[in-house]
Amino acid sequence: MKRVLTYVISIAALLFAWEMASIAVNVINHAAILPGPFDALSQVVKNAAELRRNFAASAWRLILAILISLATAMPLGLLTGREPTLDRFFSPIIYITYPIPQVALILFLFVVFGTGSATKVAMVALALFFQILVSARGAAKNIDEEYVTSVLSAGASRWQVYWHVVLPATLPQILTSVRVSIGLGIAFLYIAETRAALGTGLGSYINKHMLFSRGRAFAGIVAMALLGLLLYIAVDVIERIACRWKYVKRRPLK
Amino acid sequence: MIDVDAVTIDYGQGEQTVRAVENVSFRLDKGKSLALIGPSGCGKTSLLFALSGLIHPRSGKITIDGKEVDTPRRDVALILQNAGLLPWKTVWQNANLSLLLNGEFPQQNAAEVLAHLGLDDVMTRFPAELSEGMKRRVGIARALSTSPSVLLMDEPLASLDTLTREKIQDLFLNLWHEHGFSMILVTHNIEEAAFLGQRIIVFTDRPARISTIVDNSQMGSLDYRGDTDFQGIMSQLREALEA
Repeated sequence: MKRVLTYVISIAALLFAWEMASIAVNVINHAAILPGPFDALSQVVKNAAELRRNFAASAWRLILAILISLATAMPLGLLTGREPTLDRFFSPIIYITYPIPQVALILFLFVVFGTGSATKVAMVALALFFQILVSARGAAKNIDEEYVTSVLSAGASRWQVYWHVVLPATLPQILTSVRVSIGLGIAFLYIAETRAALGTGLGSYINKHMLFSRGRAFAGIVAMALLGLLLYIAVDVIERIACRWKYVKRRPLK
Repeated sequence: MIDVDAVTIDYGQGEQTVRAVENVSFRLDKGKSLALIGPSGCGKTSLLFALSGLIHPRSGKITIDGKEVDTPRRDVALILQNAGLLPWKTVWQNANLSLLLNGEFPQQNAAEVLAHLGLDDVMTRFPAELSEGMKRRVGIARALSTSPSVLLMDEPLASLDTLTREKIQDLFLNLWHEHGFSMILVTHNIEEAAFLGQRIIVFTDRPARISTIVDNSQMGSLDYRGDTDFQGIMSQLREALEA
């Protein structure tokens, strides 16, 4: 109950700050430049159908991109973190490619994949790939060797070490990198969606309305924030289930 | 019988080589117990890992029942310093890990071992929910799950308070009598070595070489701690370590 109340107060504080900023900007400029939260929220209700369609398009692109980057970067990160020979081969490649701003490749991706969803998903997946790769590799390198010794002495094969130790030991850190990636992924998705002239998605929707119907554009921004929030909650729920052991505390016997 | 013949263990290669154990030989008959004691970091854990097949000696040979040790074996169990429990597995999963890794299903025996060790009420709990003493018991249950003929222990009671330490020492002694396995204990605790080792090998500082062998065949009863022989063995060990 106390937790819910804290959430309500913090959201109320955010809305209040937004309203104040809106009033200040509009008074200084003598024009309705920045819509307030109630303007934006009323536009969310008025444009619910259109927003829902664009929200769904953005959501599945983002989720697909996260799944693709997890499926590729996580195994590669864990392997390079645990296998020195692979690490020696892949490290220079990672260090050279990681700092490249992936957004610089967007035009190239449009040429390769066209202007449809594939480019947008590829763009986001590419950005998240490095986040998850670097995080999984670091987590795998830092595993307490006693766990590995423990299963090896019990007769584990190399793949059993991955299944019983490496994967569960690194999962919390990988999920943290997914959480960080949600914010980054939304930013990249926005860029990718605004670059396609005509298309679906919240990025395209915001871009379309930003000049002449700012209230609707901000309704799109609210929807994007909601998308991020829902994904954060989903990752939290997954972590609570998959890493249940992290949330237990010592308790006396009955 | 365990036969350690002129074993030398090195880490690293070329100029980076560090010698952990040098030319160590001893034998241990089936069902007997041996304590290896020496200064912290002297190399005794390396010797224990070589006995369990986790690392290979640079030279020399280790055999158990006539078979050379080159990989971990089902009949040799190892208990690590912090019990080696996986935090993400429950007590039941940790206790039966050796069986599950070998594609076997826990038998009735597994539940009985857990009950015997007082763990039947905590089978679904995670290690973080247990006291340190309980965690060590789970480590013991895991080691016993495969009915080993050799039990290797690496400082199994480190960081426990005195009373819990003594309780678990008593438990080891009882289990040793009940199960009849050969037991090799690595420790830097004089009292533990004197209570659990029928024979005690004292090592030098790194690289570990045998400095003294102490016969302690009077051990074996729970009230040995109050015995004058026990005090005498502790004095001998102290002198050997200080030499």
